[in-house]
Amino acid sequence: MAGLAIYLVFVFIAVFADQIATHNPTEILFTPDYDLASDIPPGQDGFILGTTSLGRDIFSQLVYGTQSALLIGLTAATMVAVIGTLVGLVAGYFGGVVDVILMRLADIAFGIPFLPFVIVLAAFLEPSIWNVVLAMALVLWRDSGRVIRSQVLTLRTRGYVEAARVAGSSDAKIVFRHIAPNVLPLSFLYGSIAIGWAILTEASISFLGFGDPETISWGTMLQDAYASQALSRGAYYWFIPPGICIILVVVAGFFISRGYEEILFPKLKS
Amino acid sequence: MRRFFTPLTVAFAVSTAIATPALSAGEPIRELHLLTRPQAAQPQEFQFIQLIAQEWRKLGLEIEVDVMPWEQMADVVWYNRDDWDMTGWQMVGRPERSDPDEIVYNLFHSSTADSGYNFIGYENPEFDKVAEAQRVETDAAARRALIDEAQAILAADQPNAMLAHPFNTFAYDKTVWDPSSVVEQGGIGIRNTWTFLSLAPLGDQKDIILNSADNIQAINPLFISGATDSWITELVWDRLLRIGPDGLPQPWAAEAYDWVDDTTVEVVLRDAMMWHDGKPVTAEDVKFSFEAPLGDEAPMYKPFVTSIDSIEIVDDQTLLFKLKEPAAAFVTATLAKVNIIPKHIWEPILSNLGSTDDNAESYQEETPIGSGPYKFASWSTNEEVVLEGNGDHFSAPKAERWILRIVPNTEAALGMLRSGEINFLSDFTADPEILETTATEDGDLDVVKTVDIGFRYIAFNNRRPPFNDPAFRNALSTAVNRDLIIRAAFKDNAVKSNSVVSPALDFWHNEATLEMDSGLERAKEILAAAGYEVIDGRLHYPDGTSETLGK
Amino acid sequence: MTSLRYIGSRLAQLLFVLWAVATILFLLFRLMPGNPLAAYIDPTFTEEQQAALMARFGLDRPLWEQYFIYLANLLQGDLGQSFFYREPVGERVLALLPNTLVLTFTSLILAYSFGIVVGAYLAWTRGSIVERATIPLVLTTRAMPEFWLGMILLAVFSFSLGWFPAGGTRPPGSEYGSLLALYTSYDFLLHLTLPALTLAIYSLGLPLLLMRSNMLDVMAEDFVTMARIKGLSTWTVVVRHAARNALLPVTTSFAISVGYQIQGNVVVETVFSWPGLGRELVKAVSASDYPLAQGAFLMIALVVVIMNLIADLLYGVLDPRVSHA
Repeated sequence: MAGLAIYLVFVFIAVFADQIATHNPTEILFTPDYDLASDIPPGQDGFILGTTSLGRDIFSQLVYGTQSALLIGLTAATMVAVIGTLVGLVAGYFGGVVDVILMRLADIAFGIPFLPFVIVLAAFLEPSIWNVVLAMALVLWRDSGRVIRSQVLTLRTRGYVEAARVAGSSDAKIVFRHIAPNVLPLSFLYGSIAIGWAILTEASISFLGFGDPETISWGTMLQDAYASQALSRGAYYWFIPPGICIILVVVAGFFISRGYEEILFPKLKS
Repeated sequence: MRRFFTPLTVAFAVSTAIATPALSAGEPIRELHLLTRPQAAQPQEFQFIQLIAQEWRKLGLEIEVDVMPWEQMADVVWYNRDDWDMTGWQMVGRPERSDPDEIVYNLFHSSTADSGYNFIGYENPEFDKVAEAQRVETDAAARRALIDEAQAILAADQPNAMLAHPFNTFAYDKTVWDPSSVVEQGGIGIRNTWTFLSLAPLGDQKDIILNSADNIQAINPLFISGATDSWITELVWDRLLRIGPDGLPQPWAAEAYDWVDDTTVEVVLRDAMMWHDGKPVTAEDVKFSFEAPLGDEAPMYKPFVTSIDSIEIVDDQTLLFKLKEPAAAFVTATLAKVNIIPKHIWEPILSNLGSTDDNAESYQEETPIGSGPYKFASWSTNEEVVLEGNGDHFSAPKAERWILRIVPNTEAALGMLRSGEINFLSDFTADPEILETTATEDGDLDVVKTVDIGFRYIAFNNRRPPFNDPAFRNALSTAVNRDLIIRAAFKDNAVKSNSVVSPALDFWHNEATLEMDSGLERAKEILAAAGYEVIDGRLHYPDGTSETLGK
Repeated sequence: MTSLRYIGSRLAQLLFVLWAVATILFLLFRLMPGNPLAAYIDPTFTEEQQAALMARFGLDRPLWEQYFIYLANLLQGDLGQSFFYREPVGERVLALLPNTLVLTFTSLILAYSFGIVVGAYLAWTRGSIVERATIPLVLTTRAMPEFWLGMILLAVFSFSLGWFPAGGTRPPGSEYGSLLALYTSYDFLLHLTLPALTLAIYSLGLPLLLMRSNMLDVMAEDFVTMARIKGLSTWTVVVRHAARNALLPVTTSFAISVGYQIQGNVVVETVFSWPGLGRELVKAVSASDYPLAQGAFLMIALVVVIMNLIADLLYGVLDPRVSHA
């Protein structure tokens, strides 16, 4: 419940970002006496959380950062869930060569160190928040795919599936009508942690300098704060809030997935 | 008639831009791309690019800022010279650049436009003449007049929008090092060889511990590698001459040097110099050092020695350098540049390398041997390099050891300076304001700021319209509020610039270049005078000019 | 015999995965736009010199030929020559690997020791206020960006309190006879504390929650109930019976965690100036030093794959229900 509440708040913020934000998050602002509005502490001159070293409003960035976070998180989660589910269903139901190929692909994906892979990919492509999503789609279906496959293997031998087959139902119908609904909770579970992974990964990538500095995200905010030595400046109002927001969203993902124990479980079944 | 903003420079204005035949009258200017490096790598550049882009948009231009890492940017700017519009760029200050020749000639002479340093494609025959003349002029006052003229031409043409000469900011712990022993080198700052030799310890801590954000690439006297690496090579190896704190070459391993005639230099070696392995430094070693790069094994040093026709050993201490033709820069560019290396070590190495694909640049000595004031002691990958003071050297350092720590995290470097983990902050690219606050709070730190020889600017691709029009470039440059940039991006830790010759080079700098107009209104006037028009908020070319590069 | 054959087939699979990863890397780097050596060609070089440089790194050959040379070299353990450092990639990577492994293992041992004990305790006190308060807290540690946590620890314990050094593995200019002498020194421990703590806090969640849920499972089983009925003390039941059985899967997860953790080190090594593989990878990628980036990546992948294998084997050994038939 707590998780859902947190999400609703963030979704609300993301949707009404234009109304909530007090400034344009990327605009370089000036003080009334035409000086650059940089490093202004919270509360002064109408800057709720102060400004960055480049004179941008931190509060507004935080608000707009919600959009990127939800966007990255939800797309990545959908990708991981959809790809993983499809792979699991197909491999588990059809078996044979398809299964062998898909599971070997999963083996390869398990051999790819994720964060280094995102770094290489980000260097290869233009800096963009979508690199993280792409990398997740390419690699992180492995966990959900494998677990769902083993689930499908047991489901396939169940009586009602056998019955459907005998009754002449098509493969597609059996897979989507009879088997898929039973593995959806698993897909949902893996999707939920993927939200957190995506947001954390985006933050790490931005921190390492491979992010897209044109996009306002909590990751690029932290990167900006770090590159501008916010800690040495004592600008905690700049460095702490994006971190808290990340934690809240990621934890909310954990809560929502309910069976969080299983999420943090390494699935060893193959 | 085109108007220029500096009356002084009108005389040097180039012809107007070549207008293409009219298809339709004055098409809108395409979206212009401005390249910059990521904030993490270049916070100041990133900031001033954002500020400037915002100003230029007010002229009716569509400016797209493209952020890319240095390697990618270098690839575009250097190797695809026709494909970019504008880029943030910098020239870094090096002791050799104390002579304006490199920057004035290489950056703007038309002969270097195809593949050399004139990557912006600036071509002006008037300028070429002046740049060539100063090269062979040996009378200092006459040469200064030529350098002044060159700067004036550039100010009129604005091939680049010059922005700032930043301060080099370094700090040290004044409870560890005697402040009077710190040497400030003009245009370079206190992080220099002279400081590392003269720093005198006040207490028990006798090790200079300094930081670098970059890893050490190589410790190799025949390879010009990363900037940090050169701090080490300058200490481990001697050169015949060294650029002094005043920017002029002074005798070093050579006791004296003398121009016998236009093409002959006589060099007298110092007595009793020793390699770090105990063998004596001989005239043979010196001859070898200048001849080694002539083959293909040290390509980066080759350009510095090609002017030498022959080297003759007169006696144990004396050598004669015979040049192919007169070259005024030989002393600075060659004698003060080439490292003296031991023949007994490098001769066999080079002859082995001769039969392989590799050259001396990929050869890393286990224990580098030079004759310099510091000896190599140890190197642990990506963590530190330790040098030991060479007590037998003619200019033996007062410090015991010189320890370079690799610290990629700037905040951590500041923390280390306060805690004493380092006692000399030799690499600091962040906001100097923070450093000063830190120093004030700490009380033990001394921060020293020096105007750099190097500079920051926005390079225009002079090959591509609309940047082929000096009036357009002038307008853009005029629109930039340099005072704001200095204040906002550099936090007042830079001086504004309108010349590639830094005020740090007092003798050569042309002060008059700074008498320039500034402001959006003036920029709009320049554009209007040149026939540019704003229609529906969008800047259009002058009548009859069409956009040839629309993407 | 069956288990020997199983190990054999798993080894074959490991080689297959490594080959695939190496191939993907090769393609990724070779398909990048631009001249791979662009950053390393001095502008003053002539066409000839540029061509010579390309030839030296074998970049003038057709792609398929480059690929086979690359694979053949890999088989001989040759990772190529770094563009940037002009030295063999293998040597550099091997020099940095121990630092990364020490950091990874220390942080995981910390996380697992703490996580197992607290996890068992939470299972035992299921439903209590402590348990209800601890779980969200643990989830929070797992939701923190590692570099953010690292910077905060650095600001507090190094910059403000001065308890720990701010970076590196050793005091400036200190000499150690061997790697072992370094790793067992007190100074090293001081330098290791903050980065290891950062990673440990981040990785605490897995062993803790895993241990707790296993304990709950085990405690519901008959033999524990039996033990309780027999009147054994709470302590004996928890430690001798429940915990021992609940521990097995946790042990297996340790191996997998090594693989996961070593990827995350990338960030923490940068924060704490730790001379490890991850930082090298980041540097190499941003400097377009493809051979080095490839080498560092492959080395990390090797650790990941080996740890996955060990986890699988351990799982079989520790859980007799899994058969390898």
